Amino acid sequence: MTSSARALGLLAVVLALAPLALPPFFLQLLTEIAIVGLFATAFNLLMGFGGMVSFGHAAYFALGAYAAALLVKRAGVPMLLALPAAPLAAAAGALLFGFFIVRLTHTYFAMLSLAFAQIVFTVIFKWKSLTGGDDGLLDVWPPVMLKSPAAYYYFTLATVALSLFVLHSVSESPFGYALRSVRENPRRARFIGINVRRLQLLAFVISGAFSGLAGGLFAFYNGSVFPDFAYFTKSFEPLVVALLGGAQSFFGPLAGAFGFKILEWLVSRQWPVYWPLFLGTIVVLVIVALPQGFVGLAGGQGWRTRLIRKS
Amino acid sequence: MADPTDPQELVLQTIGLRKHFGGVLAVNGVDLSVPPGDVRAIIGPNGAGKTTLFNLLTGDLTHDSGRIYFAGEEVSGLPPHQLCRRGMGRTFQITSIFRRLSTLENVQTAFLSHHRRHYNILTPARRLYRDDAFALLERVGLHEQARKPSGILPHGDQRRLELAIALASGPRLLLLDEPTAGMAPRERHEIMALVARITSDTGLTVVFTEHDMDVVFAVAQRITVLYQGSVLTEGSPAAVRANPDVQRVYLGQPASR
Repeated sequence: MTSSARALGLLAVVLALAPLALPPFFLQLLTEIAIVGLFATAFNLLMGFGGMVSFGHAAYFALGAYAAALLVKRAGVPMLLALPAAPLAAAAGALLFGFFIVRLTHTYFAMLSLAFAQIVFTVIFKWKSLTGGDDGLLDVWPPVMLKSPAAYYYFTLATVALSLFVLHSVSESPFGYALRSVRENPRRARFIGINVRRLQLLAFVISGAFSGLAGGLFAFYNGSVFPDFAYFTKSFEPLVVALLGGAQSFFGPLAGAFGFKILEWLVSRQWPVYWPLFLGTIVVLVIVALPQGFVGLAGGQGWRTRLIRKS
Repeated sequence: MADPTDPQELVLQTIGLRKHFGGVLAVNGVDLSVPPGDVRAIIGPNGAGKTTLFNLLTGDLTHDSGRIYFAGEEVSGLPPHQLCRRGMGRTFQITSIFRRLSTLENVQTAFLSHHRRHYNILTPARRLYRDDAFALLERVGLHEQARKPSGILPHGDQRRLELAIALASGPRLLLLDEPTAGMAPRERHEIMALVARITSDTGLTVVFTEHDMDVVFAVAQRITVLYQGSVLTEGSPAAVRANPDVQRVYLGQPASR
């Protein structure tokens, strides 16, 4: 515990000093890593801690991104007020869709979450007058003081760090314990008095809210939003990232985001066409040889993961 | 726990309980009355309707007709989590624990839920009810396994743990569905001795189904015999053993598993 706290402290110092040493391009890469890391960690609250695999989390990412972008573009709301709308809009969407999704389990859960995400995609794509359809919404920039890569990097880093702190508290709270018990054995969980669906819905809403915040952060990083934020390929991103990093550990998805984005940069700047092939190979290798993900390399993950393979 | 001021109040009562699956009447008009402090065995040959009756009582299945009263209130149709909140605890025929949680966390989670803390999303849970959980584990003889993952415990210890999980909800009625299933004979008597000790300490009411007749006659205060979905007879172990109908439908046959 203390050694991981020390490692986190060291990481924080390194990340805080990074703008002194790194050119803007790498700050942008780190900003993206932080955003993807938040998205995957929020997603993994459902998969790793709740045993619910969503194939449609892009819906909440996109709802957050579009909520923030629309407020800025259509209502002239300043960015710092528009950003908090991102998690709120995504939470509202997660509450509405989740109400139906948590009624199902396993494959049906995954498929219904995917279906809702495709609905979100289609609405964004077709509602041209509001969302700009295929053309997206352009010129969604943060205010001048946050516009430089270093400034937006610090802003993102602080927001993501705070969010991860909250998500970590959630995962170690009584709610987190109850959520794990539901993952392990819903029937038993009911008979310690837990209303399983309601608990799952709350987890879904929390996960959706932070996915939406990631979407909002990405909107201002990117300067624009597009319908494919809600497309199913975007939904698989947090799934792949969490699997790569290690879904059984809270910080696994963050480690996965680092690995994923850095590999993507290394490979696709040389051979952009082969990136999907390379990614597929990595995913297979990790699942077969490293079921605890990248964090398994650090060792000490212990029995919780070993038990998964047995059961 | 039984209300000592009103010993006549039944903990559990069913009136004309009926459930059919397609054309098969699995439970056909069962009347059951369980007073406080009773240790009641429900026995019967395979297919007699024991498991269906159990699942009706615990809210896993809904009955077609009839009524279920728990502690004087009608609970027909309530879902399992609400029955649990009203004081019904249970264990399952197939051991049902939280395998990837530690033994301690299993019991802690049950305490957290019992005390309605499970929607608390920001306080750390690690120390909450830890002492209560340790004390309960000590009572079932598992305190030395507290930090181990529950999924690697031996089968008998997992059955004990499930009992501890059920007790953490502070039940007044404990429903045990074949508590000794899959255990070696020595372990069976150990776990039933544990159940007997806990019930005599706390006055807890117990209803259990069981295939092992040695266990049934050693532990039960009263026995209800089911046959083809109906109550064939009910009485003390001695009376049930002597009943010629029971011998005919059940005890005369080789005990099947």
